[in-house]
Amino acid sequence: MGNSVIARRLGLLAVLALCVVLLALVPYLPSYYVRVVDSILIYIILAVGLNLVVGYAGLLDLGFIAFYAVGAYAYALLASGQFDIHLPFIVILFIGAAAGAIAGVLLGFPVLKLRGDYLAIVTLSFGEIIRIAINNADDLTNGPQGIAGLDRASLFGLPLTTPVHFYWLLLVLAIIVCGGVYYMERSILGKAWRALREDQDVVRGLGINTTTLKLLAFALSAAIGGAGGVIFGAFQRFVSPESFTFQESLLVVLIIIIGGVGNIVGVIAGAVVLVVLPEVLHFAAQYRLLIYGVVLVTVIVLRPGGLVSPRFNLGFIIRKVRTLWLSPSKT
Amino acid sequence: MALALENVSKHFGSLVAIRNLSLSFDVGSIYSIIGPNGAGKSTVVNMIAGSYSVTSGTIRLGATALNQLPKHRIAQLGVSRTYQNLRLFDGMTVLENLEVCFFPQSWLTFLTGAKRLSKAERLEICHACLAEFHLSDVADVLAGDLPYGRQKILELARAFVTQAPIVLLDEPAAGLNHTETKDMAAMIAGLKREDRAIILVEHDMDMVMSISDRIDVLNYGELLCSGTPDLVRTNERVQEAYLGTTEELDDIRKLAQSRRAQGGLRANAGIVRH
Repeated sequence: MGNSVIARRLGLLAVLALCVVLLALVPYLPSYYVRVVDSILIYIILAVGLNLVVGYAGLLDLGFIAFYAVGAYAYALLASGQFDIHLPFIVILFIGAAAGAIAGVLLGFPVLKLRGDYLAIVTLSFGEIIRIAINNADDLTNGPQGIAGLDRASLFGLPLTTPVHFYWLLLVLAIIVCGGVYYMERSILGKAWRALREDQDVVRGLGINTTTLKLLAFALSAAIGGAGGVIFGAFQRFVSPESFTFQESLLVVLIIIIGGVGNIVGVIAGAVVLVVLPEVLHFAAQYRLLIYGVVLVTVIVLRPGGLVSPRFNLGFIIRKVRTLWLSPSKT
Repeated sequence: MALALENVSKHFGSLVAIRNLSLSFDVGSIYSIIGPNGAGKSTVVNMIAGSYSVTSGTIRLGATALNQLPKHRIAQLGVSRTYQNLRLFDGMTVLENLEVCFFPQSWLTFLTGAKRLSKAERLEICHACLAEFHLSDVADVLAGDLPYGRQKILELARAFVTQAPIVLLDEPAAGLNHTETKDMAAMIAGLKREDRAIILVEHDMDMVMSISDRIDVLNYGELLCSGTPDLVRTNERVQEAYLGTTEELDDIRKLAQSRRAQGGLRANAGIVRH
């Protein structure tokens, strides 16, 4: 074993240790920064979820935030004085995910015959319909005033109140979601999705029911969106329709496009960039959309595949680490 | 298992592409469907595979009527196909192109009723198939990066990997050079098996004549003639249909006759290409 191998292993260890230390240091940051990191993690969860549909199955869904709204309102209705129902957070987390999945299938059924632009337009409308419905269903949702005073969440007896608590929860959930989605990507299901993205007719000719395949993508992605929404509701302890505008759907899609379509590492990078950017440029808040536009155009012109190369994905990193550790002579 | 077309017609608006066609294909043989351009050959393939609906008539696989079923059900019942223009999953590796064919055997088997295959079993079958088609060395290469000839072979492999009893090959030799066409013909001939019917739509007459057990000749959507290669080769109506009877086709006829003298009857499209 040569010195260079040892050096590289040490380098690897150092990088890993640095990541762990950075993640462990977040709770000691001022509250504002913890909130920003929380926000990044939420958008990572959402974008990795939406990426199942957009990146893997190749279906452009512009109404994703509707599932997020379903989850958030699930928490608002089931853990507040609204109907005096107070279910535990963990139960609502699953209910929210299930409700999201059901909403995803309900959306999926009628629209899956559509492709490309048409699908995008219908899903965009779906997102708006959900928001407007929430806005108008006064008896159920309090309409535009929203629902305030949601229960303080707790998980297995641990309180979930401060941004730091949510940081740990979101971190764990983000890791679970990324790991799960990565597993799916590598499974034959992920391959079938990629094939679907390339040529839907041929996929049907292979004996694969493309409707089921697309519904699976919609349902899984919507379930992740729903779970994210529950956490959002518990975190804010207030929900109102204006949190779920088209702009939010757009942001999640932008994260994917700017980071790298179909690439988890890219999506994480995209979430960091697009969440941090408006914070850094707080003084120019009214130009937020303009800035997004400029960033998007710049990325598309300079790096059409997204900031992160499609080759630099989670699989690549894992392979690199594994070969360096197990058979370093190959590297 | 046999595939049968019973009085099948296909209309595209006012155009009658196939008129009252009845054909039967048994496992154990190689069949070729030939005919001039526009005769309806590809339409037949697309109807069997479920890409086109039939206007009237029935297509049966064994006792099952296929023409009421969605395309993916037809494939699950054992009809696989290749396409006139290559349609591989270019962004996926050669191995993955085969692996994805086993999706119905992996997820949601409770919905499809398919026999479940483990990942190891699936991979074993795919690797065996790659070896059979001499693609093992490129298993991890993206399908889109293969040279054209090997892409054609990969598409062939994809049609055979699931051991479908009915395999439809839509112009396997299209775009291949002379040597590659010969190799392709030998490969298809070698794939003939007792439990499999191979149905070929092809313009290359050398290939058709050399490997078919039966040739069905279509003209304007109707069956002109059906029989062994020797029978079809000598049939006057076939020659007429292929070469045309009007004066403007005389040149083509002469060219074809000189070709025949060289030892091979070629379809008009073949002449245009070579």
